[in-house]
Amino acid sequence: MKVEISRRKFLQGSVALSIIGGTSFSATKLLSEDEHDIGDMRIMTRTTNIKAEKVPFLCGMCVNKCAGFARVEKGVVVKLDPNPYFPKSRNMLCPRGNAGIQTLYDPDRLKYPMVRVGERGDGKFKRVTWDEAYHAILHGTDKFKGILQILDEEKDNRSTIGYCNGEGLSKEGFEELMGQKIGTPNYVDEISICLESVLGAYSATIGAYGEADMSNADFVIIAGANRAEAIITPDTMDMFKRSQGRGLKTIVLDPRFTNTAAKADRWYAVNPGTDLAFVLALTYVVFDENLYNKEFAKKYVVGYEDYKNHVLKNGYTPEWAEKITNIPAKEIYKTAREFMASEHPIYYQGRRSVFSKNDFQLRRAMGIFQGLSGNLDKKGGIVYGKKLTLPKEDMNAPMYGQAQDRFDKDGIAIFAGKTGSWIVFRNMVLEGKNPYPLRAMFMRKHNPLSGVPNTKKTKEFLKKMDLNVMIDILPSDTTMFCDVVLPEASYLERTSPVASYGGLEPAIVQRKASIKPLYECKTPEVIYKELAEQLTKPLWENTLKYDEDVQDDTKGMKTQELAKYYKENGFDLTEPWEKSVEEENKERIVKAFGEEAWKILDEKGVYYPNMKKYHKQLNPNEYQYYPEDKKNYTVKGDKIKVVANFKNLAKKGVDPMPTWKKEYEFSVPEGQFRLVTGRHAQFTQSGTTNNMALRDLIPTNYIWINKRVAEKRGINFGDKVEVKSSIGKIHIKAYPTEKIGPNQIFMLHGFGGSSQDMEMAYGNGGNDATIIEDKIEPVYGAAVMHETNVEVRKV
Amino acid sequence: MARYGMALDYKNCINCKACEVACKEENGVQLGADKHRIWVGVKDVEGLWPNISIASSTFEPSQCQQCENAPCQEVCPTQATHYAKGGIVMVDADKCILCSYCMEACPYDARYVKEDTMTVDKCTFCSDTRLLRGETTTACQATCPTKVRTFGDLDDPNSEISQLLSHRQHFTLKTHLGTKPKLFYMI
Repeated sequence: MKVEISRRKFLQGSVALSIIGGTSFSATKLLSEDEHDIGDMRIMTRTTNIKAEKVPFLCGMCVNKCAGFARVEKGVVVKLDPNPYFPKSRNMLCPRGNAGIQTLYDPDRLKYPMVRVGERGDGKFKRVTWDEAYHAILHGTDKFKGILQILDEEKDNRSTIGYCNGEGLSKEGFEELMGQKIGTPNYVDEISICLESVLGAYSATIGAYGEADMSNADFVIIAGANRAEAIITPDTMDMFKRSQGRGLKTIVLDPRFTNTAAKADRWYAVNPGTDLAFVLALTYVVFDENLYNKEFAKKYVVGYEDYKNHVLKNGYTPEWAEKITNIPAKEIYKTAREFMASEHPIYYQGRRSVFSKNDFQLRRAMGIFQGLSGNLDKKGGIVYGKKLTLPKEDMNAPMYGQAQDRFDKDGIAIFAGKTGSWIVFRNMVLEGKNPYPLRAMFMRKHNPLSGVPNTKKTKEFLKKMDLNVMIDILPSDTTMFCDVVLPEASYLERTSPVASYGGLEPAIVQRKASIKPLYECKTPEVIYKELAEQLTKPLWENTLKYDEDVQDDTKGMKTQELAKYYKENGFDLTEPWEKSVEEENKERIVKAFGEEAWKILDEKGVYYPNMKKYHKQLNPNEYQYYPEDKKNYTVKGDKIKVVANFKNLAKKGVDPMPTWKKEYEFSVPEGQFRLVTGRHAQFTQSGTTNNMALRDLIPTNYIWINKRVAEKRGINFGDKVEVKSSIGKIHIKAYPTEKIGPNQIFMLHGFGGSSQDMEMAYGNGGNDATIIEDKIEPVYGAAVMHETNVEVRKV
Repeated sequence: MARYGMALDYKNCINCKACEVACKEENGVQLGADKHRIWVGVKDVEGLWPNISIASSTFEPSQCQQCENAPCQEVCPTQATHYAKGGIVMVDADKCILCSYCMEACPYDARYVKEDTMTVDKCTFCSDTRLLRGETTTACQATCPTKVRTFGDLDDPNSEISQLLSHRQHFTLKTHLGTKPKLFYMI
């Protein structure tokens, strides 16, 4: 969007401005077609005491899904307040949650459909109508091919169309449209650049990822997770009310001194990627000194004798681990003994990106160690909880004879099927290893240029496609490489499909639209529906032309019979969206829980059985959601199982028991640094770097570098440095600090945007995906983020 | 007549600054890092890696201390700064001439210049927004993930804040100056 006064200039304080103040600005002016009418780039809100609507929403600023109420005065969202009914987010909103208004009213929002008129990457688009945009997706323009031509050329091999999607409540619908209805298996998402091996390894070891009962634990080891800065509810809220001598002893392992470390009893500056040696050494002490819960181990830990022999025989002693981890042996002894002596100890599972090649084995070792304490499936431990079941909608998925299986299996031991591996998928296409062509990418709410390691390769990959389509709310870096761009309603402008959140205190939640979609934006489900309507008949004709199975089936059919076949066999792409989200939500809730439940959910945004009876305010800050005896502390009983020796893994070439390997050792060539990255409560990846309120809190990302090392190199605070890896380089400002070791540097992920249409994000800081080498862990093919060494020099 | 104050479980603070953003959105505080009614004080850590002193790293959430003997009120030449209902120190924007004496006088550095009105601004305990509507919490209290703050009437013995202060040890900032702050930090 063009503006008279640059928001950047405003931040430098050089321009005096008139203020758009809360309800004194008119909504029509804000939404005016003439962009200059806006006048000022700041959207300031202030609440008043006029009558306001309070609409329940679920936050969409990160993946956590906190509940809130939007205060809407005269059609303008002026404040987002926490919702006291949702047990998961317990009446709170973090800084991002509060700053959602700035994303909703971001002047850089995608406002209308666009079609590319320039070259890929140069950001030249033409405004079009929705019909014209759908037409371009179907038939292309003089600049790119449409899906119909591609599928005609590929003889209806649906697998030549790829798609990707970021986390969110409307993700399922996109998967239904692209995967089940249009019929391609080639899907990648955030899982393989995030926590895939954490989820997989915990499921394989203790049967689920579980929930850490931080309200009742008395000892926690939190390693490589940073709950003060990467907020997850209710963990963050429960932990820090009880840390620092108030009931929850906290041991933090992190290469850098984080805000979580600042709240700990002890912080160990562990070498990146060596946590596994630490856990194995803890386990050694526990076996060697017979500190584990023998009764539990005998009954529930599968192969614990094998594992005991394995750990003792390999000599995983604290002295051995000290050299690898940088944690003194005596501290490891102390930590192991304290852990097992505690009544409710938790080795926190963590919930973050995959950092090192051994991540799957690290998680297995952590899960087994937790199991050895016996503190599972009970109050104060890792618990399994329950989930309220929502009725599933039947899905009539067609069979395409010409479609083929997905191919991104290179170098992966356990092929995860549905979500695949971003890096393997992309790299195989680039290297020409795909058995059939991949020709289009349909993308939604996903920015692989920032999220997937090796931005250069992602650009090449996107340039190789005949057609790229993006559905999003802001013109991200990736959007610049697309051919058709569809503007989506942001989370405050849409009612989303109801969701069920399990755990100790399960609940069902509904996000309701606070206001109607701004500009020409449409809700995701309306976009899916309209896209399906436009594509369904032409693609069906293409199937009839090439699909021999369908040809056999339909031979000699008359028009009416053919129409019936098309419907009955799921070839009608529009079928999942016959009802609106609102109608479907009501229907599902009434069917499962009755009319009264729907009334409660619709008004409060939250529902669970007996909510009226159970929910109580305890004091101005706290609520009871479930009474103590109704919380799902213990659900497994005798069915609990901890798998220490997972023999079947060996068949796949994966160690059946966690084993340390020489190649896992931390090593950095002299003069270089190991790059570590992370995120923060004050922004979510590249999605919030254009948010004005959050920019006040974190203006840019700095490179953390050890103070003494920086001094030697003449690097001062704010100096621009070049950070260079084998695949690329970035420029970024330096932050010399003692909070990081001498051969490591840290930067926040998500900055360094390259899209000029996002004014605040553009060129601000460095994009870590440009320099993180595209390596994978060998079990699922998930991206490993902390295995890149870099050079740093002042520029 | 109420006498409003705030108790802070400051050890809960994780320096996420949700309070700062909530305050801005609720009260129309301008964007810009230098414009804020509330903040979290952070000290640089002591020690050399890997021996950082955890005790040296503290987060101190703060805002106007709503002093009973407010130096800002004393120095104001136009009576723009005054004690309003509930003992809340307020600035009357119509009277403020931006002489900035109050900013100099405040020992807590709790005031800033609001550039749209070109007057001095500070925390009001949300009295002209939330309290006016009958709400009983401030924006910073309501949104806080770890529930640092408890706002309430110090003169009501049954209020949550009175209850907390009656059984929890607490201190005030720069007590020796005799400003009688009404923000209480609980140990």
